[in-house]
This record gives sequence, structure tokens and C-alpha cells, in this order.
Amino acid sequence: MTSFSWAMMLVVTMHALLFHAMPRFSRPDILFAVTVPDAFVRGAGRALLSRYRLVVWCGAGAALVIALVLTAASFATERRAFVMMAVVAGNMIVSASAWLWAHRTARPHAVPDSDTRVASLVPRDTSLPGGVLFAGGPFALLLATAVLVSTQLDQVPTNSKPLGPFGALAMGAVYVAMMLTLAMSLARRTRQIAVDNPAAAAEQRFRRVNVLVLVLAGYGMAIMMSTVTLEAIPSFSGTLSPRLWIVMLPIMLFNFGVAFWMFRVGQGGHRSVASTAREVRGDATPDHAWKVAGLFYFNPNDPAIWVEKRVGLGYTLNIGNKGAWLLIGMMLLPMVAVRFFF
Amino acid sequence: MAEPLRVAINLNSPVPAYRQIASDLRRHLVEARLKPGDLLPPIRQLALDLGVHFNTVALAYRLLADEGWLELKRRRGAAVMARHAPRAVDQGHVDHLLRQLGHIAAELRSAGMTARQISSALRRIAQGARP
Repeated sequence: MTSFSWAMMLVVTMHALLFHAMPRFSRPDILFAVTVPDAFVRGAGRALLSRYRLVVWCGAGAALVIALVLTAASFATERRAFVMMAVVAGNMIVSASAWLWAHRTARPHAVPDSDTRVASLVPRDTSLPGGVLFAGGPFALLLATAVLVSTQLDQVPTNSKPLGPFGALAMGAVYVAMMLTLAMSLARRTRQIAVDNPAAAAEQRFRRVNVLVLVLAGYGMAIMMSTVTLEAIPSFSGTLSPRLWIVMLPIMLFNFGVAFWMFRVGQGGHRSVASTAREVRGDATPDHAWKVAGLFYFNPNDPAIWVEKRVGLGYTLNIGNKGAWLLIGMMLLPMVAVRFFF
Repeated sequence: MAEPLRVAINLNSPVPAYRQIASDLRRHLVEARLKPGDLLPPIRQLALDLGVHFNTVALAYRLLADEGWLELKRRRGAAVMARHAPRAVDQGHVDHLLRQLGHIAAELRSAGMTARQISSALRRIAQGARP
């Protein structure tokens, strides 16, 4: 067995595990991206879940068997790679189809949207974690690197790009600005679902951790771009890259920790409080606004730019909101920046 | 247990959403659950949580500011004001409210309540009890 075959089989297994766990990512009264009554979750919904998982694992099992047979067969290497990738793609199609089928089966059992909406009158904290100074850290780092580079310009090899040796730093600044804008919009333009009990505090904590991840992503990028820039200077060359892991490892560990924590506390932190503390059913978004089996939220009448995902953990954009399209446009900025600065 | 500081709206109600928000807020204000100096959520935040347009909440806040309950703050929502005496209210509006009260009293009489029961229920409501 080649390492490529092993990698493909690992992908199939991880993929099946992900699809197996996916229904658990939602709030407890949302099943396959549909807001359903408790009786459905405990009864027919459980049977639906079992059937869905059976299809997912049968698909993965079949893909693994085909992969093993192909490995044993005498195929040309290029052809084998192509067929292996086709097997992985086929497995993904089976799992996605199983989700779509389960979603459509659950739809007729959806609870009607509530006519009543409740909100707390207590202002909540919408600032960035750590405050403005912490959020501005990546810019300070990029600026300090730029100052350092400008003192050693005679050592820097010339290049034909418009910003010369500062291209990577400019690119980093664009990325950090994008991350901070996303973080601020997530902190301010997301609906609070739980109103004013421990569930609300858990939800607020969940949101702030998501915001912190975005801020830290800016730090990661600033460190990387500073390193790339300084490596071009002979006096720094070869000294920073080998030590990059000292700062990147904690950030990666933090991100893995956050992913694990999010899985444990569930969507919106609902598993960290007693079920009796939850008053609001679902996620305060209408079912009809969720498109493509609950993957996309499109509701022009909803002022929220971000809403909790129904497929997966965390938040997704309300693509019916103009503000969301501004953010999407802004996310393309780094790609444009790469074209100009590198 | 103290009633939580909340505002609720019913989207199917014939009463406009901004009036429902203002009514809930006014109830918290007259019953002193919201005290002078307390900050209310920014307009955008409350609108987001209720899923209504920002102007709806802005209208409700403006209505209560005109009644002398709130001081509107740019970007920071609104603060509850000390209101020693009710601000002069349009007598026409008071007459309109009393007429509405008359209609409600007639409906209650028609439903079988006595004048004494209505008056005692009204007194309880005026003192802050939920109907």
C-alpha cells in the first residue's frame, strides 16, 4: 500500500466520522437543520438519525473496500490516484445525499415559526476580547517589522514589486484588517438567542471565543508575514523560520482546544447549561430561510449579519443581508492583495 | 422573584411593533424596574435581537424620549432619565386613552364582570400587578 492509498483511506474514515457527528453539532431541538418538536427528536427523529448514520457508514465501508481492491489490483500509478480520488468523491456524494434525504424527511415535522420575539433589555458586551490594544497588536507587530526593515534597506535584495520588501507586511495588514472587521461584526451583528438566564451567558461566552479566534488569526498572520519579510534580510536569514513554531504552536494548540471545547459545549454553548435553562426553541431563525439542506441562510428581512450555523459549529453569514455581501467582498481583498503585493 | 428586564413583541398583533416595544419599556419604567441612569441596549442591538428593522426600535425609543423617560445617546442606546413630574402630555391623547379604556370597560361588563370587579382589577394593574 502506498502512502497515497493510506491518505485516501484516512480521508474516507475522517469524513465518515465528521458526517456521523454532524447532527450533534446543532442545538438540541434542531435536527438535520430543521427545528423539530421534542417528541420527534425522541421518537421518529432518533430512527431517522440511525438510518442516516447507517447510510454514511455503508458508503464509507464501500469506499474503503473499493480502495483496498484497487490497491491490490495492478494499476498504473497515475490511474490509481485518479480512481482513488473518484472513490473519495463518490463517498462524499453518498454522505451529502444522506444528509439531504434526512433533511427532507425532517422538514414536514418542522415546528411553525413563533410569532413572539423576546429580547433582554440589559446591554451586552460587544467589545473585542482584550480590548482595542490587544486587537491592534498585529498592526503594531507589522509596523515594528517595517521599521526594522527600513533601517536595513541596504541589505535587502531589490525586487520589482510596487512595495518592494514591504509587500508581505502590506499583505499581512490587509489580512489582519479583514480578520478584525469579521471579529467586530461577529461581536456586534449577531442575534442573542437565549434571553437572560445562564443559557444567555453560555451563548455570550461561545460567541466571544469565536471572536477571539478571529483576533488570534490576525496575530498568526502578522507573525508569519513578519518572519517572511525578515528572512529576506541576510542578518536574519535562517534564524527566525526554525523558531517560528514557538509562537505558531501555541496558536494552533489554542485553535484545536477551541474546536474541542466547541464540540463539547455544542452549538451556542447549549450543552454547558441545564436543558431547563433554555427557553427559546431553535435558533430564532425561520426554517424557510435556510437553503440547500440548511447550509445557507438567506433572509433579507433579518437585520442579523451573522447567525448560528445549522450545519456545523459556529456562525455563518446571512447572505440575504447587504452587510454580509460587504464582508464577502472584503474577504476577497487578500486575494487581490496577493496579486499586487507579491 | 423580580421580573426579568425583557421586551416582547407579537408579529401578528394589530398593534405596531414599535408601540409594543414602547409599551413594554414604559411598564418597566413606571414600575421602577428601570431606574434613572440605567442604560438600555443600543438601538441596533435590540433590533437585532428582536429581528426587526432598526427604525422600529428607534421609533419606540423616540416615543419614550418625547414622554421624558429616556435620554437618547448616539451609538450608546438610551439612558433612563430621572422623571420627577410627568411631562405635559397632549390632552387629546389622554382623552383618546380614556375613551379606549371606556370601550374596554364596556367589553368587560358585557363579558360579565361587575363595575366593582373592573375597578378593583384596574387598581391592581395601576399598582403594577400583571393582569
